[in-house]
Amino acid sequence: MAKITVRNLTKRYGDMVALDDVSLEIDSGEFLVLLGPSGCGKTTLLRCLAGLETPDEGEIRIGDDIVFSSERKIEVAPGKRGLGMVFQSYALWPHMTVRDNLKFGLDVLKIAKKPSDERLDRVLEDVGLGALGARYPSELSGGQQQRVALARLLATQPQVFLMDEPLSNLDARLRMDMRVELKRFQAETGATTVYVTHDQTEAMTMSTRVVVMKDGRILQISPPQQLYRQPESTFVADFIGMPRINLIELAADKGRATSYSNTDISIDLGWDPGLERVIVGARPEDINLSEDRAAPGEDYEVGAVLPNGPETIVQLSRGVTSVLARVGHDTSLLPGQMVRLSYRSEAINVYDARTRSLVTSPVAEVAAAS
Amino acid sequence: MSGQAAPLARGRFQVSRLWADPVNLLMLILLVVLAYLVLWPFVQLVIHSFTWAEGDRRVSRDAVPGAFTWFHWLQATTGPISGKMLYGPLVNTLKTGIAATIIALLAGGVLAWCVVRSDMPGKRWLQPMLTLPYIVPSFAIALAWEAVFRSPKVGGQPGLYESFLGAAPPEWLSYGTVPISITLAMHYFPFAYLLVSGALATIDSQMEEGALIAGAGRLMILRRITFPVVAPAFAAAFILTFGKTIGQFALPFLLGAPTQFHTVATMVYANLALGLDSMAFVLAIILIAMSLVSIWMANRFVGKKSRRFETISGKGFRNRVIPLGAWKWPVFAGVALFAFTVGVLPLILLGVQSVMLIDGFYGLENLTWHFWTGTSNPDIAFGEPGVLHNSLILGAAWNTIRLAFISAVIASVVGLVIAYIVVRRDNNPLARALDQLAFIPFLFPTIAFGAMYLTLFAEPVGPIPALYGTFTLLVLISVVSRLPYSVKTGMTAVTQIGRELEEAAEVAGAGWGMRFRRIVMPLAGPGVLSGMMVSFVGVMRELSLIILLITPSTRVLMTVGFGYAEEGMTQLSNALVLIVAVLTIIGELILWWIGKGRIARLREKQT
Ligand SMILES: Nc1ncnc2c1ncn2[C@@H]1O[C@H](COP(=O)(O)OP(=O)(O)OP(=O)(O)O)[C@@H](O)[C@H]1O
Ligand SMILES: [Mg+2]
Repeated sequence: MAKITVRNLTKRYGDMVALDDVSLEIDSGEFLVLLGPSGCGKTTLLRCLAGLETPDEGEIRIGDDIVFSSERKIEVAPGKRGLGMVFQSYALWPHMTVRDNLKFGLDVLKIAKKPSDERLDRVLEDVGLGALGARYPSELSGGQQQRVALARLLATQPQVFLMDEPLSNLDARLRMDMRVELKRFQAETGATTVYVTHDQTEAMTMSTRVVVMKDGRILQISPPQQLYRQPESTFVADFIGMPRINLIELAADKGRATSYSNTDISIDLGWDPGLERVIVGARPEDINLSEDRAAPGEDYEVGAVLPNGPETIVQLSRGVTSVLARVGHDTSLLPGQMVRLSYRSEAINVYDARTRSLVTSPVAEVAAAS
Repeated sequence: MSGQAAPLARGRFQVSRLWADPVNLLMLILLVVLAYLVLWPFVQLVIHSFTWAEGDRRVSRDAVPGAFTWFHWLQATTGPISGKMLYGPLVNTLKTGIAATIIALLAGGVLAWCVVRSDMPGKRWLQPMLTLPYIVPSFAIALAWEAVFRSPKVGGQPGLYESFLGAAPPEWLSYGTVPISITLAMHYFPFAYLLVSGALATIDSQMEEGALIAGAGRLMILRRITFPVVAPAFAAAFILTFGKTIGQFALPFLLGAPTQFHTVATMVYANLALGLDSMAFVLAIILIAMSLVSIWMANRFVGKKSRRFETISGKGFRNRVIPLGAWKWPVFAGVALFAFTVGVLPLILLGVQSVMLIDGFYGLENLTWHFWTGTSNPDIAFGEPGVLHNSLILGAAWNTIRLAFISAVIASVVGLVIAYIVVRRDNNPLARALDQLAFIPFLFPTIAFGAMYLTLFAEPVGPIPALYGTFTLLVLISVVSRLPYSVKTGMTAVTQIGRELEEAAEVAGAGWGMRFRRIVMPLAGPGVLSGMMVSFVGVMRELSLIILLITPSTRVLMTVGFGYAEEGMTQLSNALVLIVAVLTIIGELILWWIGKGRIARLREKQT
């Protein structure tokens, strides 16, 4: 099948560097999600893969073929890369019926009428559009249009799917349904998929690995669970997760190697990162709250209590240090109340305050090795 | 579903993408061709104005045909006949142009206000009627004026005025500044009307309501709010209208030449008729300079955004209208009367005149269908048969339709291709150059443009044969002169086609040709089609652009009509101009129908 290799890809628009020396390997059949703040170069990378943009430097291989190489001066046309693409706007041709939209790609491949018709019937049936083949795109709902875009991609049976925020125009409920379907088709076809999204839930639920980008560079490539648990930099830590992670800058306590504190609070990491200043990253769910004044930890004042369906977000503060914690929906905490707060030291990440990158604890290293 | 996999990388090519891309190749070809058809003629025109021509032997003993000379420029600017050649016509051009523009703008402004901002009844009917005078050929209005105010002192039969009042009209009313200014204004007020109503339509009525709440009176609002807002557009409209009037040739010629009243445009024609080509070219260059200055100034008023074009159309607006109260019906009557007088009456006059045996005598016994259906009779009109029997005219009619059709189709397709390149390759400086190049013909007054092509294609150049006198030349100049409009239409159409629609096809493997044919053309189709109709009508009523390039075998209705008018065969020229007017009105009606009906629905489907 089709493995994708990107090497040292750079793309500039005038002075602006949209992709900065990006390297990436995508395994065959993988579902890779590109995630990152607006303008970080996700779409640009996807379009470079598709061949819709010409990179300035670097190399792209799809399967065994070099489809782009600046050194060897190779550039394969988009249509000859064996890929299919779903655009954010769907880009359905408004003057063609649903069926003709699908048929276009088959015409280009010069597939004979009979097999072409059969395939169209099957694909339309598959995506649940069997009855709508004769409609024009403008006569379909947003969700149906999305399905047509998907069907158009499936019709040519590409080995690589490229999708740029394909679900962003749908309402929340429909988006959930389509996620499941997209995933199903991807699994059935085994196509290597590169998927751009803004939506973290989408990234987390669908991907085999997530690529986090910023300013045209790749910050981290990890499976979703690891991305959430071990963000490699404070930027990624902050970017991933809702509500956002608590990042607290602390200085080493004199005399006690594993203890760090600021003017308000003090945390015992349980291991010694050997740094003067660190930033501690604690997810809201990695904070224990207790009304029992004898429990371990320090006293915080409850600022705001924000119920949110199955959970409740609590904002707490001690001096000027403020943190968010996630507790159950049945909490009885009230604003103004004092609670005992402790950090689950095995779950919190420690970052070098200077480089803002993750400092791995010996425990985690041992765990990773085994 | 993973049964048969699409083959990967079915072909590859080396990066010289610049050349592999057919669009780049097309762009280069178009650049070269357009440079040759737009810039080179102008260069030729300038060169020729500094060169002795064959005909110059008659005016100067020093003439050495083909050699360099300042003679024509000196003659025109400081020579003994410079007053008659240049300064007189220049003053006349400015005089008639400014007078006509003021009248047109006043009339257009008032009417625009009535239609856009007041609750005057009958707008639906009045609006198309008000644009009628701009749709019919300008010299139809000149002929109608002549029909009323012709003065026998200049020769020929008396006009309506004399027949009814018994006395000849004063000469200033028959020929010269006054009739030219008025008829020019009649022809161009719809243009000013469109510009001003476009500007009025952009007014947010809340601005005025704000003033109303502040206690301002209606006049004060008009003066302090409405007018300042539209003032820049007004200034631009003034200059654009003026720029149009100076290029007018047929109308001032018919109402000025009989009394030796010349504008710069008619002087170009007169000099060419006398064989004084180089002098004509000097005047053509001066005309172009005037046009450039006026357009440059108009741009300064409206800014870059609406750099191009004639109509800032005011469609699709719905701002609050101001109730006229008791004035409602009187205003309606006034506007209707005006619309009838300038839009319909001239055509009726031409029609009536075309069925009079002897021009100028009003009575039933004088009525005849001869000029329409008669066969040759040596006693009438030098034996010219009626227009429907006249092989010359039938040939001209065929030429007209052919010319208009072919030019419109080519101009639209080429315009679409250029527009595509300009829109889709907007980061390429060559594409921008192409854009500019295609716009240049807009800057040339049509008679001057005709003069350029006269010099350019007189002799064969390299592989290009001498095109003078051929139908091809007429097509060529008509296409090039329509390009600024068709490119603009095309750009509107292409801009509306999302880039992703094409990219989706590209990913599917469709080459540029296939994408253009199956995606761009069908989607741009409706817009381009209506643009094509506009060009069709425009070319059909064109006279000054091609008058210099016409030979007996390539005559079109307008030039034949002009010929008859020049020779004093009024009924025939009236009949012909009436035919063209009716044809253009039919064209406009089709256009209107397309715009409102079918195509609009098609467009709806696409969004
Ligand atoms: N055609 C272009 N010309 C100039 N700059 C461009 C062009 N396309 C993209 N850019 C710039 O490149 C950068 C990356 O853009 P890109 O579209 O890849 O971002 P993105 O990550 O997809 O953002 P979003 O999430 O908002 O879609 C942006 O700063 C953008 O302004
Ligand atoms: Mg994007």
